[in-house]
Amino acid sequence: MTQVPLGEEREVKRLGGATLDGASIALVVALAAVVAVLSFIPFSVMLGSGGSIEMSEGIYGLIGWILGPIAGAVASGVGRFVGVLVAPHTAGVPFVSVWGAAIGSFAAGSMVLAGQRRLWWIPLTVLFVTAYLLYAGRAIVQNGVGLWPAIGATFLDWSGVLLFALPTRRLFVHWLKSPNLGKVAMGLFLGTWMISGLTHVNSGAITYFMYNWAEEVWIALIPVIPVENLFRCLIGMVIGTGVIVGLRAIGITKPDHAVY
Amino acid sequence: MSSRRTQRSLEAIAVLDRVSYVYPRSREPALSNISLQIGKGEFLGLIGPTGAGKTTFCLLLNGIVPQFYGGRFFGRVTVAGLDTLEHPISRLAHHVGLVFEDPETQITAVSVENEVAFALENLRVPREEMVVRISWALEAVGLRGTEKRHPHTLSGGQKQRLAIAAALALQPELLVLDEPTAQLDPEGSQAIFAIVRELNHALGLTVVMASHAAEELAEYADRLALLRGGELVQIGVPDEVYGDVERLRQNGVRAPQVAETFCLARSKGVPVLRIPVRIEDGLALLRNLPPRRPPAGGRAGEAHGVREIRLSEGGQLEGGTSPAVRISHAPGSAAEGVPAISVRDLHHVYPDGTHALKGISLDIHGGEYVLVVGQNGAGKSTLVKHFLALLRPSQGQVLVGDTDTRELVVSDLAHRIGYVAQNPDHQIFSATVEQEVGFALRNLGAGEGTVRAAVDESLAAMGLTSVRGQHPLALPRGDRARVVIAAILAMGPETIIFDEPTTGQDYLGARAILGISRTLHQQGKTIVVITHALHLMPGYAERVIVMREGAVILDAPIRQAYNDLDLLASTHLLPPQVVLLAQALGGKHPEWPLLTPEEVAARIAEGGGRRCGSESNARRSAGRCRNGSAER
Repeated sequence: MTQVPLGEEREVKRLGGATLDGASIALVVALAAVVAVLSFIPFSVMLGSGGSIEMSEGIYGLIGWILGPIAGAVASGVGRFVGVLVAPHTAGVPFVSVWGAAIGSFAAGSMVLAGQRRLWWIPLTVLFVTAYLLYAGRAIVQNGVGLWPAIGATFLDWSGVLLFALPTRRLFVHWLKSPNLGKVAMGLFLGTWMISGLTHVNSGAITYFMYNWAEEVWIALIPVIPVENLFRCLIGMVIGTGVIVGLRAIGITKPDHAVY
Repeated sequence: MSSRRTQRSLEAIAVLDRVSYVYPRSREPALSNISLQIGKGEFLGLIGPTGAGKTTFCLLLNGIVPQFYGGRFFGRVTVAGLDTLEHPISRLAHHVGLVFEDPETQITAVSVENEVAFALENLRVPREEMVVRISWALEAVGLRGTEKRHPHTLSGGQKQRLAIAAALALQPELLVLDEPTAQLDPEGSQAIFAIVRELNHALGLTVVMASHAAEELAEYADRLALLRGGELVQIGVPDEVYGDVERLRQNGVRAPQVAETFCLARSKGVPVLRIPVRIEDGLALLRNLPPRRPPAGGRAGEAHGVREIRLSEGGQLEGGTSPAVRISHAPGSAAEGVPAISVRDLHHVYPDGTHALKGISLDIHGGEYVLVVGQNGAGKSTLVKHFLALLRPSQGQVLVGDTDTRELVVSDLAHRIGYVAQNPDHQIFSATVEQEVGFALRNLGAGEGTVRAAVDESLAAMGLTSVRGQHPLALPRGDRARVVIAAILAMGPETIIFDEPTTGQDYLGARAILGISRTLHQQGKTIVVITHALHLMPGYAERVIVMREGAVILDAPIRQAYNDLDLLASTHLLPPQVVLLAQALGGKHPEWPLLTPEEVAARIAEGGGRRCGSESNARRSAGRCRNGSAER
């Protein structure tokens, strides 16, 4: 600084105002509204069951990286809940859709590099591995689905779990924090792939328990799911890059557990 | 004048003690060692160029800085006895009301009364009391009767008044307004100043207002604080601060035109003891200046100070000792040949039935510099949109060159007419300056070589070569406007339209953009400027088109138009103060087209004091400045 301040330096802290786990309630509400609105905007080629995915599925990770795990889960969960109410055709099983949104953002927000929360990935990994075993394991062991069809159709799920459990999780965080927008975009793309995988494995474990689809369906899903997920990654990257650039530019105080 | 206080209350409502503040990720302080006290019932004006720290100062007073932004904070700010770092913003909001520049960003409710109630609801004011306060606040700002209306149906001035009402409902002791009139037309601006003055005088409300409106602040403020680079450069009564024209100039701030004029007159030897900062004082000083001895061999009439001044064809003043201003004409411009734009009996009716344009006929020739003025809703933007083929005539014809715009689409005109919107940010969407400038050409299928050459040339013309790789939105506002202009220049248009180019700009920024327009004009471009800032345009525009309620009520050279006080008043436009001085000097005579402080100062220096003519006219117009609009 060219001018030396004469006054005493003071501790700056936000006083009053409602916050949720260090994130301003106003921000939580705003992002929940974004999730709700994006819930009824479709954005993908229609390869699967004749419907397309909604854009909100591409930003669950972004919400968690902006707000932190708890506020992110609340924003995504509430937003998806509203989205399910106003656009029920976009949710196969409504409560599963809400759960998937919340757990995805929670996982994203837990990707911190320091502090006590840096160990949250361990129990979460246990949860996700368990979900995968319930999902693919049920198919293989109980329903006789072939090993390779099951592995092929769950590529998104196991790749997501692996990316989360391995140091790639920390690499994505470094990219998200980078001033290089190219790295931010890459972190958003691959991070969204990972979070979508985690969301999918949690949702799939419940949904498969309810519907037990046949091996032929598993085989058909092998090419479909990854292609659909590429669209989620594109959504997360395009929207997320702009949002992160904007948040940095306006200098708004970051939520306490923001990852970006 | 008699109602103005000249002494502030001894009791302070706000105290700043050695305050410095650094925004997060910033190296330089936004405010640096500011110490001052704001007295109860005072009207403190904040002046300074863009980036001086005025907005940060305003946000300090209710704790938004630093609680919302973070960063580093030094010193102490107490408002109503509360330290702004030790009390939440919600507590401070009981004592400080804050009104921002853009009314559109402040209004969230779907009815006027709900908007006023919003803050009260958040602070859990009892319902019965809420009803009383809403009624009182709307009455105070002259919006009684609009309770059930949707805010978007209000005019800009009414929206800003609604924002003030919402702040007033909290019954604060201090009302802070950050450039509240920057986005408003003259009528709306006058209404805001009138209301704020009334609140300050009648209710004793302490007011802090950041503004570039020098003439109004000189009239209403008790004190002025001049900021530059985050530092408090000067604080004093308007006579002291605005009277020091040279210091203001050095700090990038414009003084009231009357002060500028008499400062120039003083430099020419006129005995001005104290520089007037209000128009009434300037007119009174004119009456009291001793007449000057006419030069030997002077023409008849000069003994009374009446001097014949003519405009040559080249736009230069003749008859004076030296021309005070030259009007630049683009080489080869002349009212001959096919006009660049022709309008024939143009009518436009919007789908909702609004008859926005009523039989307009005019020609704009190549190389002209035309000013289009009028209140909001006069039809200026509607007219200009017809030039761009964004709107089609309901009746009549619009020709660009010799082609009817009905036969053209917008992209056909992109090479011929460029449009710079009021807010340049609305036209910026690329990731780098270079991409932004080349966007349109690429879209129109130009080869990469052509695009690169055009981009290089445009960037060089606008002085943006060094920032070609930067994100446009990361640049200062003035440079963002340059980016938009560069993007337009890359298309090579013959005509460029600037829509309110000086809105939101400080004096230096406004001059910079108008300087660009003059350069383009001198290069042969046809320039059309829509603006309310009449005081900035002499020296740039040659011709003025005055619109009212969809019709052209005057189309004349700028000197004639500016001196038609009654016509300007009928459109609620204020003539620059210097025109009022000129009127008082020599009357409304076609050979007295004085327009700038330099010209009037030269005339005063030549002719001296007592005047005949329409001083009463000038004083009547000055009175309109003071009394605000009839919108209330």
